Formats: sequence, C-alpha cells, structure tokens
Amino acid sequence: MEKGSALSLDSLMARLAEGDRSSFTQVFEQLWPVVFRLCRAILKHEADASDAAQQAMEKIFVRASDYDASKKAIPWALAIASWECRTILRKRGRRREVPEGDAEVALTPGSDDDHAQQELVVAALEALGTLSATDREALIATFWEEAASVSGPTLRKRRERALDRLRIAFRRPYGLS
Amino acid sequence: MDSANLEQLQTRLRIKYEWSRALRAFIGFAPVTAVVALAALVGKRPESALFFGTLMFTSGVLLLWYGRDLRRAVLPGLIAGLLPLTLALCANSFGHVCLDGSCTTLCLPACTAGGLFSGLAISWVGHRGRYGLGFWLSASSIALLTGAMGCSCIGYSGVVGLALGYGAGVVPALGVRRLLRGR
Repeated sequence: MEKGSALSLDSLMARLAEGDRSSFTQVFEQLWPVVFRLCRAILKHEADASDAAQQAMEKIFVRASDYDASKKAIPWALAIASWECRTILRKRGRRREVPEGDAEVALTPGSDDDHAQQELVVAALEALGTLSATDREALIATFWEEAASVSGPTLRKRRERALDRLRIAFRRPYGLS
Repeated sequence: MDSANLEQLQTRLRIKYEWSRALRAFIGFAPVTAVVALAALVGKRPESALFFGTLMFTSGVLLLWYGRDLRRAVLPGLIAGLLPLTLALCANSFGHVCLDGSCTTLCLPACTAGGLFSGLAISWVGHRGRYGLGFWLSASSIALLTGAMGCSCIGYSGVVGLALGYGAGVVPALGVRRLLRGR
C-alpha cells in the first residue's frame, strides 16, 4: 500500500471512530483488499481466506469506535485479521484430528508438510499475540510491507527488539528459552 | 468475492457498526440511571424526575450513538446539569424560608441560580472548544433535562426558572460567539 493512501486511511478511520458515516465506504474499500490479501497469504485457501477476511472486517467495524487515532490503522486491522486466521487454522487443525476411518483422507501426500506449516503459522501467530501493540505493529509493518507509525532507524531498532521478544515467546512453550 | 457479495458484506458491516455504537452508547451512559434514581428518591416529585430522567437518558444515548460534536456535548451537559439538580435537591430538603410573616420556597431561586451557572459553564466549554451550534444545542438539552429532574419540585415554574437562568448564562455567550465569528 502506498504511504499516501495509508495516511488517508488513518484519518478516515479516525473519522469513522468519531461517528462520521460518510467515510464508511472508503474505509471498507481500502481495508478489504489488504485484509483479504493477508488472509489468503496465511491460509492459502480462497474460501477460508474469504471467511476469515469477512470475520475480521466485522470485528474491525464493530471495534471501529475504539480505534486510537494516534496509531496506524493498517497494523491495527491486520492484527485483528491475523487473529481470525489463527482461529481458522486452529479449527482446521482440530478437523485434522479425524476418526480412524477418515485417516486416509487426511494422510494424502504433502498433507504432513502442510499440517506442519500450518502448526508453525498458528504458533507464530500465538506468539505474536503475546507481544505488545508496539511490537506487533513493528513486525506487521515489516513483514506485510505496510506503513508503520515510525520509520528509518527507529523502526529498525523496534523491529530488532520485537523480533527478540517474538523469538523468546515462540520458544517458551517448548522449554527452549 | 464479486461486487454483489461485497455490497452485501458492506451492508452487514454497516448494521454491525451501528449496533456496536448504539450498545457502547447505552452501556457508557448507563451509570447516569443512578443519578435519575437518586433524583427520583430524594425529590418531592418522583414521577417528574423519572419523566425528565428518561428523556435525558434517551437523548444522551442518541447523542453518544450519533457521535462527532454532539457526542462531545454529553459530558459537559451532564456535569453542568448536575449543578441546578444538586441545588434544587438541597433546597428541597431545606424546605422554605419565612421572612416578615411570608414564607417562600428556596427551590425557584436555587433552580434559577443553578441554571445561570450551568449556562455559564456550557458557554465556557463551548468557547474553549470552538464547537458548532450542534454542541450548544445538545449540551443545553442535556443540562436542562438533568436540572429539570430536581427543579420540578415546585411544579413547572421551577423548570421555567431553570430555563430562564440558563438562558441568561448562555445567550450572551452565544451573542459574543456570533460577534467574534462576524469579524
């Protein structure tokens, strides 16, 4: 996303939080492609991505009045979307724990790799969820190439610190820290 | 997703957005029911206090749901309205004053003085924030309805006294605002 449109999304989101209904359509039109792209990148499944993106958009608009105008809108929205993706991945994981009769379907070639990949994504998203809002913003801004509220050396420093904390959070459940 | 589905999604999101705003407004303004209940319990005319309280609560929720300048008017309006309400309730419990053989209730002067201070307070906030007419009207209605819960103690003359006092406080300020805008 271009810097200019990200900035206007911030102000549009702030206006929507204030109750300005005229910015609703513009917020939707700017957010939907970004949220859907993120969901598709994480879930790698068109229908699931569409479901997750719709759920995420619902939560974004329900929480629109809570939006803090001093923060960037895109990382805030993407954090909500990534949480929805995590929920769908967890549901998928549970569906994989199928009864014995259906085991053959689950054990198709490549499914082990996919499963392992999805578990890693779930673990990463869970670890991301334990970080502070600033850390999450720095990481999301870096990896989804969205504009952060800071740039240059400050962003680099924040990113390094956030990555360190993410590593610790990621290792903790496995007793590696 | 095709454009028809996206439009449907947008409609659904709009409804969710409005509902969430309405719910937030209702929950956010719910503590005010304690003030209404107190005014009804302490005041001499609980039915009037409940009537004005219900009107005030409904207006407050609607203004908070709508947002923008009108939302910002709710808290100053409520605080400003608490002044005549408190004065009226105190005057109510004090009873009346007798001088030279004639007795008079303190409710009317308390409401008029409370209304005047309330109007001055709203004027001060309105000038500081450079708010539009919507703010002034919303804050005034909330302040007057809040004050009216206590000022109905001697019938509607108390409410009229409150409105006159309020007008005396707010109208000159509105005139100054208009003059400043004209320059």
